[in-house]
Amino acid sequence: MAIVSIQKLNKTYPAFKLRDVSFEIEAGRITGFIGRNGAGKTTTIKSMLNLVHPDSGDIVYFGKKLSEHETEIKKHIGYSTGTVNWYPRKKLRDIIDIVKECYDTWDEAAYRKYLGLFALDENKTALELSEGMKVKCNLLIALSHNAEVLILDEPTSGLDPFSRDELLELFKELKRDGVAVFFSTHIISDIEKCADDIVYISKGEIVAAAPKAEFSARFSHEGESLEETFLRMERGEGND
Amino acid sequence: MTKLLRKEFKLSASILSFLFILFGLMFFLPGYPVLCGAFFVTLGIFQSFQNARETNDILFSALLPVAKRDVVKGKYIFVCAIELCSILLMAGAMIVRMTALAQAPVYTQNALMNANCFALGMAFVVFAVFNSVFLGGFFKTAYKHGKPFVIYIVVAFIVISIAEAAHYFPTLGWLNAFGTDYLARQILTLLAGLAVYVLITLLSCRKACERFEKIDL
Repeated sequence: MAIVSIQKLNKTYPAFKLRDVSFEIEAGRITGFIGRNGAGKTTTIKSMLNLVHPDSGDIVYFGKKLSEHETEIKKHIGYSTGTVNWYPRKKLRDIIDIVKECYDTWDEAAYRKYLGLFALDENKTALELSEGMKVKCNLLIALSHNAEVLILDEPTSGLDPFSRDELLELFKELKRDGVAVFFSTHIISDIEKCADDIVYISKGEIVAAAPKAEFSARFSHEGESLEETFLRMERGEGND
Repeated sequence: MTKLLRKEFKLSASILSFLFILFGLMFFLPGYPVLCGAFFVTLGIFQSFQNARETNDILFSALLPVAKRDVVKGKYIFVCAIELCSILLMAGAMIVRMTALAQAPVYTQNALMNANCFALGMAFVVFAVFNSVFLGGFFKTAYKHGKPFVIYIVVAFIVISIAEAAHYFPTLGWLNAFGTDYLARQILTLLAGLAVYVLITLLSCRKACERFEKIDL
């Protein structure tokens, strides 16, 4: 069942256009959002968080339009916008104290669990964290309020291979709990490892949005890996 | 709203915003344009906005499950809290200067504007200019704070200069009244300043909320 539906999203910038972006995210599935740098991944994700206002189109969560139910919807989604530094000189504890007040669904047990799992120290400031630990800190917040949908902008960028693997395993665990995980990446092996569905964007347009097996059957040549398929498609070499 | 206000004080605010409240005590200074105290208070508030921009505070706030207009209102309430704290100091200094120190030669021979009710009313006007020009201008983009602050400096110093010069105009000498002279008129100017402050701040806040809803972050 689709719990997030993006319908005909359009956004025009002087040098870039997002054109008729449409796809759906289903509960209990991992969706990989792939595209090269500048393809429109971050603009789409920012639109999904109402940080960017599309010229037209609808974003619907749980059957409700984001434009009309923003506050209510945000209580049920978790997000991580790359490695943005929030208050780099403040202790994580102070930042999280403010965040937890904003969520009625804050789960202190889940918070403690992921704090330990990610080996984060609440008394550290963001300035003292590596890029990978900053991603984990954003994820910690996203995972601690029982979000039904996780929207993650390049969560694996900057992580070492072990942390990336741990994170992808975590996605699978969340999926088993019925959480919809939507993450953007340009690392194709991440998609190969854990995604159920693929949304592929190129030059502001959705090229395909389909289950991974269907995507491979449709676009991959025999014996070709997913990475080779994307590279070939990005080079404009078509499907022949 | 309380959560956002806590965020303002705990995460976004610069310590200078709190320290610069003390510039309200410049109402004690003889031979000095006392309204500059109000300007210095706003300079302290500006530091918080600089701090907020450097720490991605607006993006952080916009991602929280709160109404976007509440993010703006939180900022306005924080600013007003700082301004009103300094107004309390100015009012205290004014009362002491106009009563217990009424006969002090440094004050009786003051060439510049006296720290009276008119001055306090004009401090409200300086703050109203800040809330309208700087805060309103900031929320056009939610990150550009230099240009609105420069415009505010120009407008604020025009307001301060007019206030300082006003009592030299014929028939307006009472604006520089000392002690309890012309008290009714003086209080009227204070109330007028307060009314300007409340009205302009509310209008500016409403406009900023509308703008912030439409900004791409």
